[in-house]
Amino acid sequence: MEEIGLQQYLGVGAIMFAIGLIGFMTRRNLIVMFLCTELMFQGVTINLIAFGHFHGNLSGQAFVIFVLVIAAAEASLALGLVVLLFRQKNTLDADAWRELKG
Amino acid sequence: MIGLLHCLASCPRPLPAQWLAFAPLAQSPGFTENLYPPLVLVLCVVAGLGTLMLLPSRREGAVRALGGIVVLTAALILGAKLIHKGGVHFYFWIFAFVAVAGAIRVITHPRPVYSALYFVLTVLATAGLFVLLWAEFMAAALILIYAGAILITYVFVIMLASQTSGQAKPLKAVTEFDAVSREPLVASAVGFALTGVLLFVIFDRAAAIQRSTEAAIPKFEGNEAGGGNTQALGWFLFNNHLINLELAGLILTISMVGAIVIARRRVVSSADAFEPTTETFVAPATPVDDNPHSIPVYGTENPRQKEYPET
Repeated sequence: MEEIGLQQYLGVGAIMFAIGLIGFMTRRNLIVMFLCTELMFQGVTINLIAFGHFHGNLSGQAFVIFVLVIAAAEASLALGLVVLLFRQKNTLDADAWRELKG
Repeated sequence: MIGLLHCLASCPRPLPAQWLAFAPLAQSPGFTENLYPPLVLVLCVVAGLGTLMLLPSRREGAVRALGGIVVLTAALILGAKLIHKGGVHFYFWIFAFVAVAGAIRVITHPRPVYSALYFVLTVLATAGLFVLLWAEFMAAALILIYAGAILITYVFVIMLASQTSGQAKPLKAVTEFDAVSREPLVASAVGFALTGVLLFVIFDRAAAIQRSTEAAIPKFEGNEAGGGNTQALGWFLFNNHLINLELAGLILTISMVGAIVIARRRVVSSADAFEPTTETFVAPATPVDDNPHSIPVYGTENPRQKEYPET
């Protein structure tokens, strides 16, 4: 039985990143859009941990800690902004802010 | 968008030449005869079509179920080929399948609450993958932070937002912006083109990467003191990344302050402004009007709200 290599983990990470990207482009709910960015974060963390493991050091895990910190900060700020936007237009539709396209 | 479609439409023409160019790669150790580039590309196209059918829109349920079956088939074929190539590692394939299926369901479920719950499933499967990579502290941290903290906040915001907007509608109604997705064709094409390219590069180059890493350092599986991965990670962080760790704490503090400032700001929507004032006026939970330190909101048409606080 062979060991699972680096490429399988990288493949899973790439697929999850792409799925998150598709979701961010297609969904129109503001909250689900930010959920999809979290999905992309998940793909990146799988990549980092796999690289760290197969390179034999802990840098990957240290990176993932900082990624988690940024994800938490981003989630709190983004949800605050979403609540603010929701209170103005009373909808979560991203198309309600179409005028921001310029 | 038209340019993008044109680019996508013109894409199939140079492809046969590219396949010929990839033919030597098929003999390289990255690709075995089980997994050659056109198959990966075809699988990506099939999965893209399935996702296109699966994304929320005003179609019958049968089409979406068919899309789900198509995506599932593509994923299973790719997984079977990779298993044939990479060996049968039971836990890895289970966790990977659950993570990817949960991710697909996050972006295709029309109800945001269920999307968030499927995201919890994806986080749990990802934590399983971390455990397989000897990163048990990161697995625990992922579950605590993502499934425990971030997702609960998301679910709270989703429920609060859908509570006020859905009061006149029946419970089963899905709002229009949740039910119809935006540009599903372009997004699926771009996303699965990206997937195809990434898988190409990964399965072509990772064999070389793996050879170099195997030659470099032995794999890390716990430290000599027997404290395991968590203790080693703590040593590593506080020896090599002390400043970064403090900066991370600073970022969290700043973002907390920022979130409080943003969410505290009182916004009166124009729908609320002209509702008839009832006699039983309930005071708001936070005294916004008489607090001189509250942030003024400009441009509101609420006659009850002072535009500038009196200092």
